[in-house]
Amino acid sequence: MIALRIGLAALFLMVAVTVQTSVLTNIAVAGVTGDLVLIVVIALALSRGAEWGAITGFAGGLTLDIVPPADHTAGRWALSLAIAGYVAGLIRRETSTGPVGPLGVALTVVLGTTISLFLYSATGSLLHDPSVDWGEFGVRLGIAAGYDVVGAIVVIPLVMWILGRVVPARERRRVAP
Amino acid sequence: MLKDLGTPARSAFRSAGTPLRSAGTPRGVRRRRTVLVLVVLACLTLIVLDARRSAGSPVEPLREAAAGVFGPLESTATSARQPVDNLRDRFAEMDRLKAENEKLQRANEDLTRELNSSDYARNRATELDKLLKLAPAYTMTPARVIGIGSAQSFNHTVTIDAGTADGVRVDMTVLNGTGLVGRVVRTTQGTATVLLIGDRNSTVGGRLNATMALGFVSGRGEVEGTLDYKLVDLKARPKVGDRIVTWGSSGNAPYVSGVPIGVVTSVTPNEGSLGSTATIEPYVDPTRIDTVGVVTGPPARPPRAQLKPTTPTPKVSATEGKGN
Repeated sequence: MIALRIGLAALFLMVAVTVQTSVLTNIAVAGVTGDLVLIVVIALALSRGAEWGAITGFAGGLTLDIVPPADHTAGRWALSLAIAGYVAGLIRRETSTGPVGPLGVALTVVLGTTISLFLYSATGSLLHDPSVDWGEFGVRLGIAAGYDVVGAIVVIPLVMWILGRVVPARERRRVAP
Repeated sequence: MLKDLGTPARSAFRSAGTPLRSAGTPRGVRRRRTVLVLVVLACLTLIVLDARRSAGSPVEPLREAAAGVFGPLESTATSARQPVDNLRDRFAEMDRLKAENEKLQRANEDLTRELNSSDYARNRATELDKLLKLAPAYTMTPARVIGIGSAQSFNHTVTIDAGTADGVRVDMTVLNGTGLVGRVVRTTQGTATVLLIGDRNSTVGGRLNATMALGFVSGRGEVEGTLDYKLVDLKARPKVGDRIVTWGSSGNAPYVSGVPIGVVTSVTPNEGSLGSTATIEPYVDPTRIDTVGVVTGPPARPPRAQLKPTTPTPKVSATEGKGN
């Protein structure tokens, strides 16, 4: 069961990376594309908790760092998405007496986008990457957050539903009462 | 029983029926934090290892492997993007379409779709055609853009589907039918990463077409790809409407000469120093790059002759199949 879940998560991340780098860029709004990988990471964190968020965030972010056309220092997206995933997992735990509502999910996505973009830009600034432009940061964050919420409406229920199918029987029994 | 009293957190957790694992127990918290710390440390290690680019990064093999896996995936996804392209075109035409009769539109839907796809193929053929016209004397490898860096990562890079196997090397010029696109910064077997001229890391030597004055074109990092242009000669002043071409580097790397870059749209004097900075609108729209050519061979005649290419166009049908 665990192997199946890990396999599923890996599959989700690979599809997300591929779609984000080559398909979503064609329907970018002012150049900003949806962070599909972030959305998948948040979905995994919401359904499995903070550890999963951190680890899948690291894996997904690292893939984004090394898959072309990435040309920045590797590890920046990995760090950003890992922490965003961890925080999303924490939110899930604190409200975990029931499933997180739609508004909660949307807020989590906005928070995750903010955290990840901020960390990505901040590490860029620390490394003296000349391409980071804080003047543009706010605008791009706003567009990205809106885009991500739209994407999350489709992706998060799908991922959570699929993962819910492979929850072990013993955990399902505990949730039921 | 006694054990339960000793661990109130756990007993409360059980009786309340809080779902899932040991999420709230001290052990769960400790494990979670350990995972977080490990992941963050791993990230920082990666960043530190990869930041020293001069020493040869240990992440390089990873990049190669990732490109090997994701290159074909991105290629496939790109060839499936025609519906997406059509979708975007439809949004652009929304205003016009609204005015049209809805019934007619529905009746013509199949026809429209057919038309869109033939337009797509025709556009690609014209692009290749223009490519040949622009730089007839260079040996070029045509390629398609299969991945684009997103604006929120502040990277202006694209992936193309040609790599070392096609003769593409680092520091080769990339152009398309309308002008200069960028240069190759990273290659793998089947893909290459191109740094666009609009990136803040990019500087290209540019020559004013009108006066032959030399200067440097640098990217601003904006989505539209707007560029800054500074002349070497501080007294010279570019005029609005002047066109700029590359002046080329020795050995044709990283930029060959005579490729159109863009046109001057405004000129502002530098504050607190001599000279002036011109704003340049590039000929190439960075959001709409599709078919590009990588200059893989030297020019057959002197570079100065490249400013006004007039070679008759051969048919492109032989090269057109490449991208598909």
